[in-house]
Amino acid sequence: MSEGQIVFENVTKQFGSAVAVQPINFEIKAGEFLAIMGSSGCGKTTTLRMLAGLETPSSGEIRLNGVRMNELKAHERETPLVWQTLALFPFLNVIENVEFGLKMRGVEKSECTKRSLKWLKRMEIEQFANRSIDQLSGGQRQRVALARALVTEPPVLLLDEPLSALDQNLVVRMQSVLTRLQKELGITFVYVTHSQSEAFAMADRVVIMSEGVIEQIGSPKEIYRNPASRFVAEFVGTNNIISGYIKELNEHSMICNTAFGVIESNLHDGNNSHVAGGAVELVISADMVELSQEKTSSKNEIQIQFIAEEFTGSVVTLYFEDDNKNELIVQKQQREIEPLELTYGCKIYAHWDPINVFCIPEVNAG
Amino acid sequence: MLNDKSIVWLLRIYLLLVFVFIFMPIVTSVVFSFNSDRFPSLPLGHFTWNWYDKVYNDPETWDAIRTSIIVALSASLLATIIGFCTAYTDFRYNFRFKNAYLALALLPPTIPLIILALAMLAWFSKLGISGQIWALIIAHTVLGAPFAMAIIRLRLQQMDKDLESAAWNLGASEWATMRYVIIPFALPSIISALCLTMAVSFDEFAIAWFVSGLNKSIPVVILEILQGNVDPQINAIGSFVFATTMTLVVIAQLFLFTKKPTTIK
Repeated sequence: MSEGQIVFENVTKQFGSAVAVQPINFEIKAGEFLAIMGSSGCGKTTTLRMLAGLETPSSGEIRLNGVRMNELKAHERETPLVWQTLALFPFLNVIENVEFGLKMRGVEKSECTKRSLKWLKRMEIEQFANRSIDQLSGGQRQRVALARALVTEPPVLLLDEPLSALDQNLVVRMQSVLTRLQKELGITFVYVTHSQSEAFAMADRVVIMSEGVIEQIGSPKEIYRNPASRFVAEFVGTNNIISGYIKELNEHSMICNTAFGVIESNLHDGNNSHVAGGAVELVISADMVELSQEKTSSKNEIQIQFIAEEFTGSVVTLYFEDDNKNELIVQKQQREIEPLELTYGCKIYAHWDPINVFCIPEVNAG
Repeated sequence: MLNDKSIVWLLRIYLLLVFVFIFMPIVTSVVFSFNSDRFPSLPLGHFTWNWYDKVYNDPETWDAIRTSIIVALSASLLATIIGFCTAYTDFRYNFRFKNAYLALALLPPTIPLIILALAMLAWFSKLGISGQIWALIIAHTVLGAPFAMAIIRLRLQQMDKDLESAAWNLGASEWATMRYVIIPFALPSIISALCLTMAVSFDEFAIAWFVSGLNKSIPVVILEILQGNVDPQINAIGSFVFATTMTLVVIAQLFLFTKKPTTIK
């Protein structure tokens, strides 16, 4: 059995009586871009810090390349971190900051300079080598922090919300810098963030955490389309979550009774624990709902009334209600809804393909 | 009603008066140190280096200056080391009774000097080092350490906690982190603390008078000359002490305030 490059096995972390991380289990493959996402206090940063050796797990085992890491001190590990605050040394200039890791490993001075300059060039900041840190812009500091972490050519790079202090347009540019860098270097990136757009834009796989528990691990697409729990469904994207009961079940699909009437859903891989009569929660992504002025006689069609809209750039979020005041959220491009000539209170039809209906496997009480 | 302009002028005059009040005695002392008359009275006699010559040729003054410098250098070094360690403990660790620990560390300057001096005299005689130069060094270290700690602590408080973790993360051991991150970051405050504790030691009279014995420091010698007779020599020594102390304090201030720490946000 070959295990991943990094393995978390039943790892927990407690601070006094407070539990930061419940037993978590997951693996990270070599060369993977993994994002750990969750709201603040969910344990994502603690998880990352345990990997860096800045926190010691209360129980369980962390392995890197099959070697137990728990007892290894932070400075004995090859897991450099890019900090949210960047944590650049203010009393050192740019190149001295980058050289730090090499100097600590006893690399000879001229070699330090040579390798650091190479990384400054790669990050396109070699002209600032002798500047002091406070003379740099936010984006330039970001690049210094990256160069400083990567100069020792580690197998794994850890990133703790590194883009959270940047302007939005700079964030998008740094995202492409990071993904390109990760592809070129072929090393593992473990990226902690609270931002769904950052995680989904960059990561191969995303770990979603809540209150010290892993809610779901999967590709951004899997998580977006097929959330594993109600928490994930509410946390990612804009989803309609509809409760109901299974009325009929066959090999490929099921028919459910819900507040919106009868909804047909395809059965997707991995979800075969259903029984007729059982409770289900169906997830319909807001951008998968089709709207039409006339009845189309498609499956899963309901009549709804236009209540409100929220305009954010090219995408519009529309709020509808059916006759029983059940809310349906729909996301469309502005140009798509123009022909519908929506006015408040007008009635139109909505339908969605059974293939786009997912159900949450376990019904979480919370 | 007073208009803005007159308020500004009143405040300026007030400020000037405060400065006159503070500096007049010192200026007087400096002026009389160059005055040829035996007694400090107006009108002034003529300009002379006479008193400085006398001080320069007096071996007892030179002994006192040497003692003061040795004590000031040693005590400032020890006080700064102790102050740094206390400040770093405060920065790095959380423990029970930490507030009590800090209060205790800051205690010495709050005790009346004369009481501290008496206590030290009693204690040093018990130890059998009273009258030795060591006694004065220890006493001034105790007096200076809280100042050093307060200054260095102020600087460490401005340090991003991640900086230390970042150094570990980049492969620096705890000692290497101390050497390459903590001390460089705190360096301006360390220099500042050295200068200030040196100034404190150089100036201090009460404890020195009690414990110095034959190793008299400058303030003690000044008092002894003054007790004997009115001698303008003390103006000369006083001016020298004033110049030294002010230089140290100004250096301390420069390091404390012009090197603003850069925090990265």
